[in-house]
Amino acid sequence: MSFLYPLGFLGLIAVPILIIIYIIKNKYTEQVISATYIWTLSERFLKRKNPINKLTGIISLILQILAVVFISVAIAHPVFVLPNAAGDFCFVLDASGSMNITQSGVTRFDKGKERINSLITESADGSKYTLICVGTVTNVIFEDIGDKEQALSLVADIDPAYVSSGVTDAISVAQEYFDANADIKTYLITDKAYETSDNVELVDVSAHESNFALSDVGYSYSEGKVHVSGKAISYEEDAENVSVKLYLDGEAAGEQVLKLNRLEFVDFKFETQAADFSELRVEIAEEDALLLDNEFVIYNEKSDSSFRTLIVSSGSPFYVQSTLISLGNNQVTTMKVEEYEAANTEGYGLYIFDGYSPAVMPRDGAVWFFNPLKSTENSGFSVQGDSIEEVGKIEYSTSSSTRVRNLLKGLVRDDVYISGYMKCGLYRNFTTVASIKGNPLVFAGTNSYGNREVVFAFDLQRSDLVMSFDFIPLVRNLLNYTFPEVVENQSAYCGETIQVNVLANCDSIRVDTPLGKIEYLDTGTDLVEYGLTEVGVYTLTLMFGNMPRVVNLFSAMPEEERATTVAAETAFVINGEAGGGMRDGVYDNLLIMFIVLAVLILADWVVYCYEQYQL
Amino acid sequence: MNKSIISEEFLQQVESLQMLIKNNVAGLFGGNHKSKTFGSSCEFADYRDYIPGDDITKIDWNAYARFDKLYMKLYLDERQLHTRIYIDASRSMGYGKGKKDEQSLKIAATLAYLSICEMDKVSIYIIRDKQIHALITGMSGKEAYINEIGKLNDVSFDGDSFISDAILPEKVGYGDGLSVIISDFLTDNDYESAIDYLTEKKRDIFCVQVLSAEELNPKARGKMHFFDSENTSKFYRKNINREIANAYKQALNYVTDRIRSYCHARGAEYMLVSANESMSEIFFRKLTDMGVLK
Repeated sequence: MSFLYPLGFLGLIAVPILIIIYIIKNKYTEQVISATYIWTLSERFLKRKNPINKLTGIISLILQILAVVFISVAIAHPVFVLPNAAGDFCFVLDASGSMNITQSGVTRFDKGKERINSLITESADGSKYTLICVGTVTNVIFEDIGDKEQALSLVADIDPAYVSSGVTDAISVAQEYFDANADIKTYLITDKAYETSDNVELVDVSAHESNFALSDVGYSYSEGKVHVSGKAISYEEDAENVSVKLYLDGEAAGEQVLKLNRLEFVDFKFETQAADFSELRVEIAEEDALLLDNEFVIYNEKSDSSFRTLIVSSGSPFYVQSTLISLGNNQVTTMKVEEYEAANTEGYGLYIFDGYSPAVMPRDGAVWFFNPLKSTENSGFSVQGDSIEEVGKIEYSTSSSTRVRNLLKGLVRDDVYISGYMKCGLYRNFTTVASIKGNPLVFAGTNSYGNREVVFAFDLQRSDLVMSFDFIPLVRNLLNYTFPEVVENQSAYCGETIQVNVLANCDSIRVDTPLGKIEYLDTGTDLVEYGLTEVGVYTLTLMFGNMPRVVNLFSAMPEEERATTVAAETAFVINGEAGGGMRDGVYDNLLIMFIVLAVLILADWVVYCYEQYQL
Repeated sequence: MNKSIISEEFLQQVESLQMLIKNNVAGLFGGNHKSKTFGSSCEFADYRDYIPGDDITKIDWNAYARFDKLYMKLYLDERQLHTRIYIDASRSMGYGKGKKDEQSLKIAATLAYLSICEMDKVSIYIIRDKQIHALITGMSGKEAYINEIGKLNDVSFDGDSFISDAILPEKVGYGDGLSVIISDFLTDNDYESAIDYLTEKKRDIFCVQVLSAEELNPKARGKMHFFDSENTSKFYRKNINREIANAYKQALNYVTDRIRSYCHARGAEYMLVSANESMSEIFFRKLTDMGVLK
């Protein structure tokens, strides 16, 4: 036994002081009475002479001395060593989506946390704890901490993810701890059935709960009818009379009752008359252990793809015009340079300048340049010198950035040659799609007015680009970039990363998550990536001045996390020889001392009351 | 004594008390004090033959007419009795807030009045140490009572008292009335000899033990150090708990029972009085129940 604060024993000085005070202080109340005769006579009538009565005068003193001693010892904080009682613990807690499966109102994740709490609580003081949480990513929540309260507090703070997560990283992290200390006990708290778990104690928190799920839900719209199809499955047991319901804009639009055999997908279809809808929702009416996979929502956002296009050309814009029309844009107006310069033209979604650079950039729409001849203020790029007359092959960007991948999506990247181009300098953050000898030829970005801008720094007629297979896909990609949807797909799986297009003149993008969190996206760039970590409806609110635009996005439960009994893909193996040793534990709980102290004080108080008031 | 105990107000109360007693009972200790000898009162007792030299006014001429023989009418003799009241004036009677002194004086005054009303003589004595001090002697008649009873206000309670040592040397009369001893009897000192002595003198004896409420039912608890008011070298130091309190009550009962039984064994009357009891309670209920007042 040792003491954390031995100076606490200085409190024992109070003991002799207490005795002196007790001796000095006459605690008997003196009183003159008319006669002591009867009091003296009463001695003869005392029934028995209890030897304890002789101690009654000093019981209070004894209790007070004991209290002082206990206080001193408590201040000194004794620490008792418990040989080979403590251990080192490494907890690997599965926080994947399936851990949200509920039984009797308690999720598997909560059961896992309870198990960790009990292991920590029951372990001897002096033990050390490490917690690895395998959620969206693998996190070491705490490492080698010996403070139980802190560990319990940190365990209480963690939440499960809604994604499918692999344990590979967790295995390697746990292996590192094991390599550093072979005595460490590793616990894997999961609902997945691992075939082998060497050096690991598997804590299975699954209970084969009932769970239904929807899968592959999709729809088509034709002739005023909505055709919805999908699959339903029961993961744990055969089930009859499972009701699948369809809602359009919150109104019931159909219902099917299915018979589900265990682990067999059953198709369902709905066909219903609908002029239009903005939200389509399919759900399984029966409650089960995991409600998150019983619902699927699809949003039908109105497309902004119809826009008016103005082509201002110094020559013949045939290729551009015909390509736009072929891609479905029928509102194309062509205008001569002289006409454009004569009129104050505005009101178009896309301005295309072909072999012409306007003196002033349009403010109310996106801008495309083909073969710009000179620099235009606020365009974000400059034209340096005259046309460079040489034949060369276009080099497509090899960047792996999301924007480049989107802009080059679907291109076969045939060899394309040009016979001349304009050398351009880029001021703003343009993305170069194609170049020649390091000079950007096709690049995209935003101009000073926040509008999207695409530049072809060459004359189409002096290249064979329009003849290649890549021209149509490239123009389509550039149009998609110029007039982007906020999100490409409004249904995704939790754990996926979506791309949010920051539309022109968008001041802010607010994201309301299904669990009520509010986040803001960076609008300094024109494309933002956002990871979906929750299941349910995400609401994106884009602000254009005071005008909001709201986009809903449904994040579905990953299919691999829906199974009630999840078979793990890998074995959880920690390599090496387990030491199995224990460290000396400590016991420094002062609670008992405080209880004893309280009892002593209470007893002293009782004695005092008994002496004074004979209560 | 700061305040006059025997005041005008008190005397009015005694008067009203006497009226109540007179209307309901026949007087103190039988009241008529008839002697066993024939005397000159108006109450007829018997006849006897005339002997020459007898008072011829006592001849019953009606009997002579019927029987032709002289008979003397005999009348019961009524003697004036002498009530002697002894008051224990030790410090224990007067110490503290017990009001035993006040109660003792009131009882003495009331008994004296009742005796006066019975046409008896009353003497009141103070017992202090081993001596008796006569405060009032041979008081007879209400006028004398009114004049002299106020002397009780001058009684001071101090020192010790030895009842037997004080009474035994004194003349206490013989068969001529009531002797009253008023004390708390909280003493080791002998008082039994005094009772025996008075018994020998054919006196009616009435012992009144006056105790304060605190003495009858002590409230003191915890560590107490009691000093005796009469002798501070006497003390009692104890942690008074329930057990000791019960022992006290037993001791108290022992003391009162001992006096009571001693008195009764000698044909004496005994009364335990609390200092808080009212005169009407004492005289109208207690003494009546005891048969002292009939």
